[in-house]
Amino acid sequence: MKKKITALLMAGALCVGMLCGCGGESGQGESPKESGQGTNPGENAGGAVDLSNIYSGELEHNVTIRVLENDTAIEQGYFQELIDAFNEKYAEYGIVAVDANMDQYSNLADDGPYGYGPDVLYQANDVLMKYVEGKHIYPIPAESLECFPQITENAWNAYQANVNGVSYYMGVPVNVQSSMLYYRKDLLPEDWETTWDKDGNKVPDMVENWNDMYRYSQEIVAKNDGHYGYMRSLYDVYFSSGFLFSYGGYVFGDNNTNADDLGFSAGNAEIGANVLLQQAALMNEGCIDDSITVSAYSRLADGTYFATMTTPDVYTLFLKELKLAYQAEGMSEEEAAALAEENLVITEVPKLPASGDLAEEDPELIPLKAMGGVNGYAISAYTKSPNACLAFVEFATGYEMMLRRNQMLGIVPARSDVADAVGGVSEIMYHNLDAGNIVVMPSIRAVEQIWTPGQTFFEDLAKDAFRPETEKKYKTLEDIKNGLAAVDTQIYDAVHTLAGTN
Amino acid sequence: MKVSKIADTCVTYIILIVVCFIFFFPCLWLILASFSKSGSIYSFEGFFPSSYSLDTFRTLFTDTAMYNYPRWFRNTLFIAVMSCLVGTFLTILTAYTMSRFQFGARKTMMKTTLILGMFPSFMGMIAVYIIMTQFGLINNMWGLILIYSANAPMGYLTQKGFFDTIPSSIDEAARIDGATNFQVFTRINLPISMPIIVYTALTSFTFPWSDFILPKLLLKEKDLYTVAVGLMSLGDTEFARFAAGAVFIAVPIVILYFCLVKFMVNGMTAGAVKG
Repeated sequence: MKKKITALLMAGALCVGMLCGCGGESGQGESPKESGQGTNPGENAGGAVDLSNIYSGELEHNVTIRVLENDTAIEQGYFQELIDAFNEKYAEYGIVAVDANMDQYSNLADDGPYGYGPDVLYQANDVLMKYVEGKHIYPIPAESLECFPQITENAWNAYQANVNGVSYYMGVPVNVQSSMLYYRKDLLPEDWETTWDKDGNKVPDMVENWNDMYRYSQEIVAKNDGHYGYMRSLYDVYFSSGFLFSYGGYVFGDNNTNADDLGFSAGNAEIGANVLLQQAALMNEGCIDDSITVSAYSRLADGTYFATMTTPDVYTLFLKELKLAYQAEGMSEEEAAALAEENLVITEVPKLPASGDLAEEDPELIPLKAMGGVNGYAISAYTKSPNACLAFVEFATGYEMMLRRNQMLGIVPARSDVADAVGGVSEIMYHNLDAGNIVVMPSIRAVEQIWTPGQTFFEDLAKDAFRPETEKKYKTLEDIKNGLAAVDTQIYDAVHTLAGTN
Repeated sequence: MKVSKIADTCVTYIILIVVCFIFFFPCLWLILASFSKSGSIYSFEGFFPSSYSLDTFRTLFTDTAMYNYPRWFRNTLFIAVMSCLVGTFLTILTAYTMSRFQFGARKTMMKTTLILGMFPSFMGMIAVYIIMTQFGLINNMWGLILIYSANAPMGYLTQKGFFDTIPSSIDEAARIDGATNFQVFTRINLPISMPIIVYTALTSFTFPWSDFILPKLLLKEKDLYTVAVGLMSLGDTEFARFAAGAVFIAVPIVILYFCLVKFMVNGMTAGAVKG
């Protein structure tokens, strides 16, 4: 009898459990926030967002907003200066901005729904735009911001999202990231002005075009004393894909918005990949993985490498290593710092030969279209003080703070007026972005699927330079084209295989 | 005979030295790297740094603007000590109860804990995270202490095995003399169980001390980071600081071991049935 009752109870429990799954969507009774999805209070029945419902225009009083900044800004003291200035300006409202005190790569989608995320975030456009689908960030009334007309359209496009047929800006661009060439001026040949400056513009030819860089690297490597010319980890999709873009390749079609159209093999992208293959032949096997990337700081400082390519935000790291290297040679700290600043040069990336042949004499040159990103501010959809957050974003993207950010951190400002005022690298990169020579990382979710297949291909390509002749995989341009087509297929499969299952 | 004995000893020693070297070399390398003057792994000549200094250790404790090692260390020490105290207490009680008392569902509970112990702890991470958010224990070191302490009794079987080896005739003798269950536990069994208590305390301390997954999951604020999470957050160019931090993390465990090892030996001879 006991067993029968137990069996009946268990069967009943099983039925209740099964029936629980039969409810309709309307009956779930779970708010989007509870399910880990953000929600926009201004959203109407059609899904469009009325921004005035989010930003009433009236500042909240006596609130604390938590701001997630990047580590360099905190380390160099810029962030403290920013929040001090903001807090002073908004003291009458009792608004206080504080450091969110979290990892700079924190994921709002994980922390936000449970109330542990920051109110304002500073991250790269591809990271911030991942939050759009889950509605973890609020759209921003960009046109009403003072900085709007000062920021190039290409930068704003990185933060544009289309929701139910309406376009919104989901973040405010602050700085532009892309590839720059770093080289040691004191490692140039002594007679470079007579032998390596054909156009007489007082800029060494090897930092102006890849053909002369290739020739100079060949000369250095030929000495066989462990020194190299240009060095770069080629597996890195962020840096290597620019060579494909320069010859007609792209990531996604329709201006990087259509994940159905993959373009790593489009146009003559294989010519760009072949340029990388030629460069790899003058490097060591460190180009296959990240060995060169992580060692570049000290290797450039000790003179093992003449040049490398990376983003401008790590300039201070190169400078620090070079200064230490000079100090180790017996210089005083001041002397070493001054000499390091003089000898470490950061400039725009060299131009490519239209033919893709690095050994060609007097080639027709085309600009390198490098992959780039736009870091910016976004406002969390979980904040209780959207107006105060908007005030903070407006304050932080104003002329004064952007200029100060450039001065303290060396970043390339997204504002044209600041870029023009500071000149140099900032001006070059800003105008490269404006001219379309910086291909901003796609802001759609599918971008997270491009890295692994791309990296696998570039690793394999770099390895090919070190394979015996009989084992080489990429002997012709067609072989490379096929390899790139396989990358497109892999990315397409990764994006679409599970797309219809949720 | 004598020659073969000497040869045998020599071979044994050679094998032991080689094995010691294999295990010790990575530690030695890390210790030497922590004293590297340049701070970069790429300035090494061969395996070892080209020049040495104490700068990295100085930086580790003084340059705290971005990487506050002393604070990480204090946080880790607090979590590990509290987890050790509470966890040891709970484990010993669980093991003693399972060893000395007969009660309904005892066997079922033992089997259940045995099976539950077979699942890796990180399997329940998402559930743990959600439960902790509901209790408001994210960004709270007591949340971690609670989890470590609650988990500790799951591994009571070793301790139970030890208590099983203590003859029950000692307990019976004490009871005849009028001792209560509590007195039997505290006056009779605990003093002769020092080796297992010390072992339990050491393991209860070392797991939270070096754990990475749980603190990474539950502690979002940099000020609450433990050493393991903090070291993982170091930048690419901070190798020497990483090495110094990793070397220094061994200090409390070594001190704890030397403080507690005498109890392990003393406990062995603290009590026995006198015939």
